[in-house]
Amino acid sequence: MRKVSTWEVLFVPLFFLLILYPILAILGNITLEGMVRTFNDPIFWDAVKNTLVTAFFAALLSVLMALGFAYFYIFHPGTIIYRIADFMNDLPIALPHTVAGLALLLAFGRNMFGFAGPTGLAFTLLAVVLAMFFVSYPLAARTIASSAEEIDREMISVARTLGDSPPQAYRRVVIPLLGEAIFSGFVLGFSRSISEFAAVIMFGGNVPGMTQVLASYVFTKVEEGEVSMAVTASAFCILISLLLVLFLRLEGKLHARSEKSA
Amino acid sequence: MLEAKNLHKSFGSHHVLKGVSLEVKPGEIQVLIGLNGSGKTTLQRILTGILEPDEGKVSIGGKDVTSSLPEDRLLGYVPQNTGLFRHLTVRDNILYSLKNGRGSEESFREAVELLDLESYLDWRPTQLSGGYKSRVALARALASSPRAMLLDEPISEVDRAKKEYVLPLFRQILLQLHIPVLYITHDPWEAGEIGTSYSIMRNGVVEGIASPEEAFSVIRQQARDSGE
Ligand SMILES: Nc1ncnc2c1ncn2[C@@H]1O[C@H](COP(=O)(O)OP(=O)(O)OP(=O)(O)O)[C@@H](O)[C@H]1O
Ligand SMILES: [Mg+2]
Repeated sequence: MRKVSTWEVLFVPLFFLLILYPILAILGNITLEGMVRTFNDPIFWDAVKNTLVTAFFAALLSVLMALGFAYFYIFHPGTIIYRIADFMNDLPIALPHTVAGLALLLAFGRNMFGFAGPTGLAFTLLAVVLAMFFVSYPLAARTIASSAEEIDREMISVARTLGDSPPQAYRRVVIPLLGEAIFSGFVLGFSRSISEFAAVIMFGGNVPGMTQVLASYVFTKVEEGEVSMAVTASAFCILISLLLVLFLRLEGKLHARSEKSA
Repeated sequence: MLEAKNLHKSFGSHHVLKGVSLEVKPGEIQVLIGLNGSGKTTLQRILTGILEPDEGKVSIGGKDVTSSLPEDRLLGYVPQNTGLFRHLTVRDNILYSLKNGRGSEESFREAVELLDLESYLDWRPTQLSGGYKSRVALARALASSPRAMLLDEPISEVDRAKKEYVLPLFRQILLQLHIPVLYITHDPWEAGEIGTSYSIMRNGVVEGIASPEEAFSVIRQQARDSGE
């Protein structure tokens, strides 16, 4: 018989215990009563809608900003602004997201320029979008910049000699070649946004039907002792993330195939 | 006339170009020969404007272009790996400069015809053989009606047997243009086939030289001395 290595002995049971089992625990606790009550709760559907809409805009903004970052990466990598932006991309990895939320609250959660109320942008859907963006953008920027890194610079050089300014070369050569990375960056940013809780609750608040997202809905239901509803909403979240993961995988497969046939 | 005067370039403490001067006349195909890492590509990138020299001047047609951007220099450039646009068809590669008001439908037609690319127009660069990649890269540069042409080992990926066919074709086309052409290669035989004049890059400077044989005996000696 093949000798089983220590790594296999360690990995398999721990993987089941620490990763699969908790997910199954959610699915195992789904009850019909919980499902009926959750799906009949208009606040739940508001949370679903809020989650999808804000995550969509946060991901969109993340991708746009990431494209700006990649532009600096390609055309001005020596500048101070690029170096700061590059450094800042890694910061949120170690930063507790409550801190990010508090930072946003202090920056935008006040009456600015006279047009926002006393709490500024805080506790609005826009605040939710900005909180999601704050934590998703570095992910999108990393994804898109690492793909930009692989683009043959000579293509850009040739485009320049054929009359392109840097923005034109970016639009005509770089962005088309980043196509897949832009898509992955969007899906990753969207996923990261959906999963965000701390920054969202600090800056966007947790107003049911208003700024409540699925992550905060689950939290509220647990606090209220409505565990069966929290479980249903959680299962719903798991379903969405599974779909997103499948989406990314499929895209990766299609990409591999098109590379091969090209 | 394509002219470089006293170009210097360092990367960090590595002084690559130490006062490069050269002159290429219209109708001349000057072949530049030099060991790996001697700075040939660096020189070409400075001539295109993609890289800035630390010191020195570049002029085209008697006009100082040292501080002009690459898009304003009206040069044709074929880089070491052809740099074809992967996401575009052969047709759109060759037509690329037309959107920027460079070249014309006519120069496009002519380039396609000269390089015999008619039946490949809808192909993608990744589907082409090395020889045809080089042809498309040259056609793309030609179609932009350049004032001078810079080629950096444009057929290094082509089989020797095919080179024998491609080189006379390239030579004929390049001579017809009657513009300055600077052509980089490693291959002594290729140099002799394509060039009308020869120069060699070593120790950070460029020297004119009578024949490719002479150039190669010099760099062979240099390679031996450096123990490679
Ligand atoms: N962007 C850069 N940063 C740092 N060093 C560089 C850079 N570009 C070139 N160099 C260095 O400058 C030297 C000359 O490089 P270059 O590519 O010009 O040589 P080459 O003559 O074209 O060589 P090859 O025949 O291999 O193409 C090399 O030592 C290379 O490592
Ligand atoms: Mg080179």
